[in-house]
Amino acid sequence: MIVRKFGLRQSRQLLALSRQTPISRRFLSTEFETPVAAAATEVQTPPKETIVPSENPLNEVMRASSQPQEQWSEGRIWGMSESRRRKFNRTGSVVEEIYNPETVLDNPPRPSDITLELLLASGTHLGHSTSRWNPQNSRYIFGIREGVHIISLDVTAAYLRRAAKVVEEVAARGGIILFAGTRKDQKRSVVRAAQLARGYHIFERWIPGALTNGEQILGHCETMVVNAQDQPLPEFKRDLADRPSVKPDLVVCLNPLENVVMLHECGLNNVPTIGIIDTDADPTRVTYPIPANDDSIRATNLIAGILGRAGEAGQVRRLKAAQQGKTTYKPITAEQLRLDPFTGMLPGAEEKKRV
Amino acid sequence: MARPTYGIVQAMLSLRLYSPSSYRLAAPALRRQTRGYATEPENTTGEMQSSTELPSTDPLPTDPPSAAPPAEAPPSEIPRVVKAAPQIDFAKFTAQPARIIPASPSYFSGSPRFIDNVLMLESLQAKYASLPIVGAGEAPRMAWFKLAQFRDFVGEPVPMKKYKSLLKILQRLNRIQPEMVPQEVRSHLGKFLRPGNPYAQQNVPRTVDENGRARAKGKRKESTAVVQLVEGEGEIMVNGKSLVEMFQRVHDRESALWALRSTQRMDKYNAWITVKGGGVTGQAEAITLAIARALLVHEPALKPALRKAGVITVDARRVERKKPGHVKARKMPTWVKR
Repeated sequence: MIVRKFGLRQSRQLLALSRQTPISRRFLSTEFETPVAAAATEVQTPPKETIVPSENPLNEVMRASSQPQEQWSEGRIWGMSESRRRKFNRTGSVVEEIYNPETVLDNPPRPSDITLELLLASGTHLGHSTSRWNPQNSRYIFGIREGVHIISLDVTAAYLRRAAKVVEEVAARGGIILFAGTRKDQKRSVVRAAQLARGYHIFERWIPGALTNGEQILGHCETMVVNAQDQPLPEFKRDLADRPSVKPDLVVCLNPLENVVMLHECGLNNVPTIGIIDTDADPTRVTYPIPANDDSIRATNLIAGILGRAGEAGQVRRLKAAQQGKTTYKPITAEQLRLDPFTGMLPGAEEKKRV
Repeated sequence: MARPTYGIVQAMLSLRLYSPSSYRLAAPALRRQTRGYATEPENTTGEMQSSTELPSTDPLPTDPPSAAPPAEAPPSEIPRVVKAAPQIDFAKFTAQPARIIPASPSYFSGSPRFIDNVLMLESLQAKYASLPIVGAGEAPRMAWFKLAQFRDFVGEPVPMKKYKSLLKILQRLNRIQPEMVPQEVRSHLGKFLRPGNPYAQQNVPRTVDENGRARAKGKRKESTAVVQLVEGEGEIMVNGKSLVEMFQRVHDRESALWALRSTQRMDKYNAWITVKGGGVTGQAEAITLAIARALLVHEPALKPALRKAGVITVDARRVERKKPGHVKARKMPTWVKR
């Protein structure tokens, strides 16, 4: 009797909860089934005690829990579990001031939000082992702790603000900004920064020669003519046929050590670069160094996010001016588009001259 | 504002008696001489002033693109009636080309269309990650592009490994519970399907024809047998001969009719058999397979029994080809010291 009541009370509470695992019927059963080996014993099992279903309170509970689930579709079950999750996720205590790794991707901080605390929390100050240092970085280094160089946070903040300003101004002048981060986990931050700044991204290997041999490597990639408000103008498509490939106006590199070739090509093509310079990197390889830790994904995500936000501000400025009919840069004209980009003459003019 | 104008204009500018703005010209007498530079008209050249100072190395110098027309008329001829400026042709501004930019944000990767597709599918996967999924075997079978077709689709030389990673995302999206697949996912998945669904056509189960014949083929070694099986008294005809004439060995006769014998259907079916190619054993065992298949058309319930008898299992072994440098398929010439 005691066992029965125990089972009854337990079962109600169990059924009230939403559970992934099914509740064993054993706990809900009020009928005793003693295991009897039929062949071994001659004794017949006594006839089962029959209980009228209406008298048994468990019967209804069991029916309610088991019956409708057979009819529900997968979609309905999922919708119910989702609504339940949404409802109960809001209950209980609220934990504040926590680090959410997604925040820096979803809603990256603006250049005005740069604080030393933020940089410290993101681990931008951690350099490399002292034995691996590049002495050119000595002016960015604050000191040594446990055999590791510590990068001065105020210097990082100042250089990061300067780089953000460069990105913003290039974006405001209609420049093509390329965000490059070819390490495994930098993909999302690079794509996000490019999306914010209306720039371009590279998260896989830089193809050597993409700038110096652009026609071969990027020749098949599509370009378009846009007006000042960034609306594509398809009527100029035929003028794009024999154009050289597009070159970026600014390259932001999150891991300059692995992208030596890219930075070399940028140097050859006079393309300014921004790079995260760790204590073992050569700061002269980039135009605008940001002394910071390039091995922490959290740090590179933060820097990429800030630069993306800066680019976003510049694009807003540029498009606002375009709305008022102004361009912040020298636009290409329809006549220039018609001219041959190499000879500077009308197509076919050279042949006429020869004739 | 510093534009090359006539010397007299510059002189007057320096004396602050003249400014290129026609608004100022209209009422020169009202100008107060005490005003400072802060009140001077700005942005007449259309150049946007940056609110902040740039660092020392400016990558892109600003150029005034569309300047207001300089005051060509000498200041002595101040027009009495100033005509209003013409209406702004907004359409013209938006129709003017401004820049040549890459069409895709992944332009510099060298394979922009592929990377755009990957990013699009990854965003879909992240967006609908919480939807319930079915097992990989229960998901609807989809005929994704083969690598060559996919290369044609994107127009870029995509390596196999990268395409496989894209296929993985496609397969994961395809595993979403079929009745809950969002329309967005459905339409995007449809782009990666081969034209014409090869998995749509179901195998039609074979039936006996109007004359009660079941037709089936069987192969073994180099032989091919075609069997027409009808209900009857157990008469067998192979290539117009009786079974005894065709196969001298008892073993061959046994194996040829093993499907009927093992199911005790010897006296219930007549068979008319054509067999060609190969040798005696091959022909006999090709007939075995063909009869078993034809029998299944008549009586599908016999399948477990026939499977157990080992007559519907295809023996796919063929003679291995001879290789150059070998005596036979694998035999090497005898090694001689010299």
